[in-house]
Amino acid sequence: MDIQFTGEHLLPGKLGQFFIVLSIGASVLALISYFFATTAKDKLDLSWQKIGRIAYRLNLLAVVGAGACLFYIIYNHLFEYHYAWAHSSRTLPVFYIISCFWEGQEGSFWLWAFWQGVLGSIVIFKAKSWENSVMTVISLSQVFLTTMILGVEILGAKIGSSPFVLLREAMEAPIFSRPDYLSLIQDGNGLNPLLQNYWMVIHPPTLFLGFASMIVPFAYAVAGLWQKRYADWIKPALPWALFAVMILGTGIIMGSFWAYEALNFGGFWAWDPVENASIIPWLTLIAGVHVMIAYKNSGHSYFTATFLVVISFVLVLYASFLTRSGILGETSVHAFTSMGMDTQLLIYLAAFFIIPLVLFIVNWKNLPITKKDEDTYSREFWLFIGAIVLFVSCIQILATTSVPVYNAIFGTDIAPPTDAIQHYNKWQIAFAFVIASISGFSQFLKYKKTNIRKFFISVGVSLVVAVILTAIVVYVVKIYGNMMYILLTWSAIFSILCNGNILSEAFKGKWKLSGSAVAHIGFAMLLVGALIAAANNKVVSLNNTGIGFGDEFAKNNNPRENIILYKNEPTKMDKYSVTYLGDSTSGVNTYYKVNYKVINDEGKITENFNLYPNAQQNAKMRQIIASPDTKHYIFHDIYTHVSSVPLKEEEHHEDHEGHSDDENYQKPIVHEVIAGDTVRFRQGFILVKSINKNAKINDIPLTDKDVAIGLNLEVHANGTVYNAEPIFLIKGNAKVDFGKKVDEAGLKLRFTNVLPDKGKMELTVYEKPKEDKKDWIVLKAIEFPYINLFWGGTIIMVIGFILSIFRRSKEVKEA
Amino acid sequence: MKKSSIIGMIIIAIAIGVIVSTYADSSTYGSFSEAIKTKKELHVVGKLDKSKAMVYNPQQDANYFSFYVNDNAGKNCKVIFTGVKPQDFERSEQIVLTGQMLGDEFHASKILMKCPSKYTQDKIEVKEVTAQGKI
Repeated sequence: MDIQFTGEHLLPGKLGQFFIVLSIGASVLALISYFFATTAKDKLDLSWQKIGRIAYRLNLLAVVGAGACLFYIIYNHLFEYHYAWAHSSRTLPVFYIISCFWEGQEGSFWLWAFWQGVLGSIVIFKAKSWENSVMTVISLSQVFLTTMILGVEILGAKIGSSPFVLLREAMEAPIFSRPDYLSLIQDGNGLNPLLQNYWMVIHPPTLFLGFASMIVPFAYAVAGLWQKRYADWIKPALPWALFAVMILGTGIIMGSFWAYEALNFGGFWAWDPVENASIIPWLTLIAGVHVMIAYKNSGHSYFTATFLVVISFVLVLYASFLTRSGILGETSVHAFTSMGMDTQLLIYLAAFFIIPLVLFIVNWKNLPITKKDEDTYSREFWLFIGAIVLFVSCIQILATTSVPVYNAIFGTDIAPPTDAIQHYNKWQIAFAFVIASISGFSQFLKYKKTNIRKFFISVGVSLVVAVILTAIVVYVVKIYGNMMYILLTWSAIFSILCNGNILSEAFKGKWKLSGSAVAHIGFAMLLVGALIAAANNKVVSLNNTGIGFGDEFAKNNNPRENIILYKNEPTKMDKYSVTYLGDSTSGVNTYYKVNYKVINDEGKITENFNLYPNAQQNAKMRQIIASPDTKHYIFHDIYTHVSSVPLKEEEHHEDHEGHSDDENYQKPIVHEVIAGDTVRFRQGFILVKSINKNAKINDIPLTDKDVAIGLNLEVHANGTVYNAEPIFLIKGNAKVDFGKKVDEAGLKLRFTNVLPDKGKMELTVYEKPKEDKKDWIVLKAIEFPYINLFWGGTIIMVIGFILSIFRRSKEVKEA
Repeated sequence: MKKSSIIGMIIIAIAIGVIVSTYADSSTYGSFSEAIKTKKELHVVGKLDKSKAMVYNPQQDANYFSFYVNDNAGKNCKVIFTGVKPQDFERSEQIVLTGQMLGDEFHASKILMKCPSKYTQDKIEVKEVTAQGKI
């Protein structure tokens, strides 16, 4: 039976679905055309290439069209579409509508396809003789990506998941048998509050641009093997690889900043599998960039360079498999749940792994792999070693992150390390030490052959200066307890000194070398900043006042990191005197005003600031979502979030059967009053002003026979006067009364009877029980020292990447 | 010997180290009975026992939260967590506890909850408009 549903807007969805099909068709056409353009014997025949260009641009246009349709649907709250219903709501600010695109898998695939479309179109402009072969690879990837949002079942297999599926198609519920079901759906599920943060508006697009741009160096590497231009691809691919590394790095750090500013796990990096999945390809491509440069200048490390560039994109696909297949469910807090597209993702992954593998095998004998060893005192040798160390460090991250994958493949039941952060740190600090050291001394090495004497003199000087500086730093930031920390600090300072030396050359005119020096300095600063902030952060809200819950608990000597604050009662916390001053609500957030003061021995206030950590209270779900607030100083941050607050009750209590509203009050007290009387209650008194013989009641028409009497009351409480008029009504034979609540005074007042023989009125006073609870919050506060080194180092590193991109793209033009 | 073979050997050695370390650091999923036996830290998967009391009283101690869990083998055990009670704890469908036995109580250092999140559940919230108004 077909039901004619009312109120649905089917056009935008149909149009969007059409655009998706069009984009797939166009990318298939682009793939075929570019393939034939590449393999054509007659190189002067440009007809295939022309078709390929048109098809690829059409594909981009169609992807943009599909995105526009999706935006239209979300913007206009068309909840007949599952995507809009699941990821948005009417109350969502327009600014965050764009975030709905990446809350769901379909939207994030769309974003990826969009970036790949844009990047491909730029490659068409720039690639010249590489266009056909490179675009064949990119078009193939685009075919895979666009089918991810197709959402069609073919022979029982679901291909992709469309963002344009209707709610009634996506789910089953009895209401869909009603033609007017839409009028019953008042609102969508809404956007996850954690995503309602401005960093979440720019972090995902940056990250996806980074992931998407990794296809370009990959495509160049594959095209180089395919076209037997084994070595030529490195030069034009280098700026692209640097671009990908820069953007992906920026995206990762933005995510880290979001976690620090908006999430309450108390840090900027937690080695969560989702974080690992994004940093692994970043590290492998950084390694790749270094050996690409080594090959360009020395002819060594060809295979390593090609392999690392290829594997980086394969790892991007592996990362999306990990985060999107639901396989991480037990180990990560923020992976997607499965959409049943695992097989499709695996085919994508397999295709982009097998194609380069086959090309490697076929061309193995002809690859320009040198048989000769590099000189130990040559730059290319240490670039190669550095790349290998980076790659091995990735293997370590990958090995532990993939534990759920082993469990799935081998049916084992291994749990990840109980202390994951410790597990990763112990390896990665060692790797970071080696990498930072190499990035330091290799600056004094030259390609091919170095003057060994000069090298040792320069290195020796930096080494000694670094030892002195390290001693000072270690003393100042107090990390002398751990040898690995000291070594890492030393290596980072050493790297900064060596690269600073190169940078000073740049000021003498060798500008083109500055990019790498700046990036290395930034990286070393980032390492020191991360190390000090992570190793030495100090929970300042330590609580030693807990009352015993048994000896076993006390003996265990657990860190007691949360502290309770009562309103207006200053609590001593480390050197701070902290006071909870009250809360205010704005939109969905409740902000808790917390004052920090530092009072020195002489009684003077040396520091005084307020922080406003907030929590989204969701009374219906009985949960809070807390976001921190941070006081930034140059040398440290004070980071604060509430970890528990009293839940606000829902505002509207409906009377359930068997539960009357009166249960919220103490036993009522009946008073017999006349005008002018005063009735006392705990918090104040009630003045009976007058009697209104012609009271009116909303919604109830009164006839001449009905009697409605109102009692004009003045309630004096909290230094304020509230007016209330409870009403007594005789309608026919029935006596009814309409009570009035004065919530501010915790009162409910009823005019329950008229006593004509006494000439008095019966006033029943309900009073809420005395609240013995004080307002409180439970709070956690952490001091992060020197975290600005981390953020500052990141910015410097990105600037270094930009300088390098300029240098390398200039080289392409000059060639 | 060529330098590349030395490097290759070092890489293989580190890789073996990585695998051994992953295995050594990795924990196991177990039950309370196993936790009593091993005394080591492990992961216990179970469900919250809603019939028994949950204690979290920040006014008394803001870092003490105790509750009872039935593990997948059906064994019931008291769990103590040094920290704040997660606010939607009652609604969790499954709990993964990381910790160890101390006496006859399981001391958890980490709690991972699976909740039917508002943002992933496919349940339509229908608001029925009633025709008659209440007086």
